[in-house]
Amino acid sequence: MSLSRRRLLGGLSAIGAASVAGIQILSGVRGSSSTGELLPSRRALPEPFTLPFRVPPVLSPVRSDATGDHYRVTQRAATAEILPGVRTPIWGYEGQFPGPTIRSVRGRRTVVTHRNELPVPVVVHLHGGHTPATEDGFPTDLLYPAGWTGAHEPMDGVMTHGSRDYAYPMAQPSATLWYHDHRMDFTGPAVWRGLAGFHLITDPAEASLALPSGDRDLPIMIADRSFDADGSLLYPSLDPTLLHTPGVREPYGSGVLGDVILVNGVPWPITEVPAARHRLRLLNASNARRYRLALDPPAPLVQIGADNGLLESPIRHDAIEIAPAQRFDVVVDFGRFRPGDVVTLRNEFGDRTTTPVMRFRVRPADGPDPSRIPDRPAAAPAPAGPVAVTRDLRFRHGTVNGMPGWTINGEPFDPGRAVAAPRLGDTEIWRLSSDFHHPIHLHLASFRVLSRGIAGPGAYDHGPKDTIDLRPAEQASILVRFTDHPGRYVFHCHNLEHEDMGMMGVFAVR
Amino acid sequence: MRVYGGRVHRWTRWPLRITASVAALLLFDQAVYAGQFLAGTFPALHTHRENATFAGIAVLVAGAAAALVRWPGRGPVWPLFAFLGLFGLIAAQIALGFLRILALHIPLGVLIILGGLLLAAWSWRYRPAGEPS
Repeated sequence: MSLSRRRLLGGLSAIGAASVAGIQILSGVRGSSSTGELLPSRRALPEPFTLPFRVPPVLSPVRSDATGDHYRVTQRAATAEILPGVRTPIWGYEGQFPGPTIRSVRGRRTVVTHRNELPVPVVVHLHGGHTPATEDGFPTDLLYPAGWTGAHEPMDGVMTHGSRDYAYPMAQPSATLWYHDHRMDFTGPAVWRGLAGFHLITDPAEASLALPSGDRDLPIMIADRSFDADGSLLYPSLDPTLLHTPGVREPYGSGVLGDVILVNGVPWPITEVPAARHRLRLLNASNARRYRLALDPPAPLVQIGADNGLLESPIRHDAIEIAPAQRFDVVVDFGRFRPGDVVTLRNEFGDRTTTPVMRFRVRPADGPDPSRIPDRPAAAPAPAGPVAVTRDLRFRHGTVNGMPGWTINGEPFDPGRAVAAPRLGDTEIWRLSSDFHHPIHLHLASFRVLSRGIAGPGAYDHGPKDTIDLRPAEQASILVRFTDHPGRYVFHCHNLEHEDMGMMGVFAVR
Repeated sequence: MRVYGGRVHRWTRWPLRITASVAALLLFDQAVYAGQFLAGTFPALHTHRENATFAGIAVLVAGAAAALVRWPGRGPVWPLFAFLGLFGLIAAQIALGFLRILALHIPLGVLIILGGLLLAAWSWRYRPAGEPS
């Protein structure tokens, strides 16, 4: 009697414990596709696919001469109608979000004069640019607004006031680059408010590739945002002036995820496209969100380019996983659809509001399609020299100034201390490891992914890269060549909340 | 039932069974939360840290229940030392976790969970001496 009761109770409690553990396992079994916390909007959101898609305007040079093409950009506060019927205050290059697109020609020097009319200092970084150190936008090389009366933090950087030139040699292959704010401690909120734009490098020698061009070459900046009840952008800054205390309030220290998907600043837009091949320059300009982009109905996304230039051979994807700051140049053939068909770009990592991205409605082509997908978009890279140094870099959660933050090899960002000092011209292997999702970006140098885990490069790792999507508890090796310029640069996690909370390091090319 | 020298308090098995089972479940949960943050769910790291404290307390409570099995239960004393030893390992485990010495943290975690499960299983099988099986 007592035996059977014991057996019964023992058995029941074992079943109970197994159920509790089982429910906990199942509830978290999918893990997370992004490291971050959703910040829900506080107002009704528009229906997807009701607002018109637009391409950011292309900036005209103020002057073109033997010294190059000269542009002028004013950074200022403005308002934009992002949600229908309400004005959203933004910070914008030329008061626009996204900023105007700059198109440089390979080999032609480009000088952009930035004027700061914002209430904070700024730093402009050309993401993916092979740029001299003084022009790269080091996080403490601050451009203060004209007439600045506030404090000047002694931050081991070069200070300028009012306006300054950023001169880019553009001696690099054609690629989809972007420019954005990079001020130490405040990059996340500044980009969230709108300081981001495309900077494309084109190469006239590539005309023979016959890639889709003109209005069939579409830059697509995908960025998630959240909105307050009054239509303003919602962001959990500890210090909304973005002047004194960096960081975000908990639980957003792991990254800020918005619930509105903006494409070129428009929520879930729709556009008509002729039934022909189009080049989509996909850029993930989100602070923390990763996307898995696919077309519905299914159609191949043929990748021809990566972050830093064209591929040696095209890669056909059914879906593309894109981490913050990464770019994928893909060709989509809308000619495979019938006029009137509706094709949706979806995010398979999304939930209710973050699954739709944008929609294309196919209309009849207005003539034959002269474009094609080249077999060899770019020549194979020159063989790498001998590896001079192999470095281990561990990207982890940690304690930064007594607060929860993010570290590289246990240390938070210190602009005065170099984590690595490669020699100019050297080739190095960097072995990166992570605890959570960390999109790791190197300034100056373009790299190749050698391995991920115990296998070779992943499906989305091919071609010349400047940002690698490191997933949780993952190791990857990259082959980096430090060419072009000596000087002091940074590498960092492009989850911008991680970057602002310490996950950045200096490398000094000697 | 009468035994020389005093009474066997059979009820003392029940606090041990309950507390040892709860402790085993909380210890196993550590592996669940670790798996979740390794899969990229950031808040699971916080849960892993908090639950470590709860699991440690649960093991101490089970140790107190094991003491009852001995006094007044007249059962063996080794389960008390086993739970105290397990608690010592958990203290070391928490320190290793904060120091991110994962090469030790993970195998020690496996041992601790195994120990917790074995002690809970023993608590359900244990019968005081003289009781018919």
